[in-house]
Amino acid sequence: MKTFHFITIVLISGAFAGLIHGTVNFAIVEPYLDQAIGIENQNLFESGEEEDSPQFWVEYEGYRVWQKSGQILAGVILGTSVGALFGIVFALSRNSLPGSNDVKRALILAGIMWLTLYLIPFLKYPANPPTVGDAETVVLRAALYISFITISGIGAIMFYKLSRKFKNRKKLVSIIGYGIFISAVFFVMPENPDEITAPMNLVNEFRFMSVLGVSSFWISVGIILGFFWNRFESNKDTMQYS
Amino acid sequence: MSESRQITVSKTGVSKLAILALAIVFAAGLFVVGFDQGHVFSLVYGEQAYTDLYIHELTHDMRHAAGFPCH
Repeated sequence: MKTFHFITIVLISGAFAGLIHGTVNFAIVEPYLDQAIGIENQNLFESGEEEDSPQFWVEYEGYRVWQKSGQILAGVILGTSVGALFGIVFALSRNSLPGSNDVKRALILAGIMWLTLYLIPFLKYPANPPTVGDAETVVLRAALYISFITISGIGAIMFYKLSRKFKNRKKLVSIIGYGIFISAVFFVMPENPDEITAPMNLVNEFRFMSVLGVSSFWISVGIILGFFWNRFESNKDTMQYS
Repeated sequence: MSESRQITVSKTGVSKLAILALAIVFAAGLFVVGFDQGHVFSLVYGEQAYTDLYIHELTHDMRHAAGFPCH
């Protein structure tokens, strides 16, 4: 495949999948964000940090509209970004992936990346709605989250490479090896330092919707990139021999 | 009797330039959506960008929904 085609299909796949992610979030996550921000506002009024005045609500509506409208645009930017990583990994691993066509291969890779780069880090550091999280600890929390994702991703690659040295039971070796490794990391890494002050049913429902939203991205990016790859793959040399 | 078979060989040579370009897109996009606290606009607007937080507010809802620490 030509470099231009490769970059184009990877970016378009990511952007489309991000658009789907943003749209899904807009439909199913936004109601929970509104509820959580409502609680946050109540806390501000009760603590005296803000006054429940018309001026407050004018300012609030101003930035809340900006935040909501950014959901889909941010989805496209994040989708293009994560889709770029997905494209690199797919291009480098395509020949090793199981599956009879590129859509199946891309979906399998998307499943692996969803698990190792999203779901397992999420179990350690789950998403939180507004009202949860101390501004003083945001740098620490960001560092912990990105470190866990990086360690999990590198661990998955490491155990995949290691498993290739074994003749039999390659899959089993890589899955068990990664499982032990990431379990150890899970227990060694520090906990999120912030206390959850919002109602737990709101937090749990928000987290569930968040998982659905991110999952919609990984399913979409796998299907779209796999489809485009099948369509634009031009380096297939057909050889006949007798 | 001769037997004719057809096989398809698929090459996946990916240029280093393409990987570099996509890696830059990945890092830049991830930073903007997941971690910017005024840094990008501070290149143009200086310290005021850390107060305005335009990108932070624009990506606020996605940041929470995608699991990034926000504030």
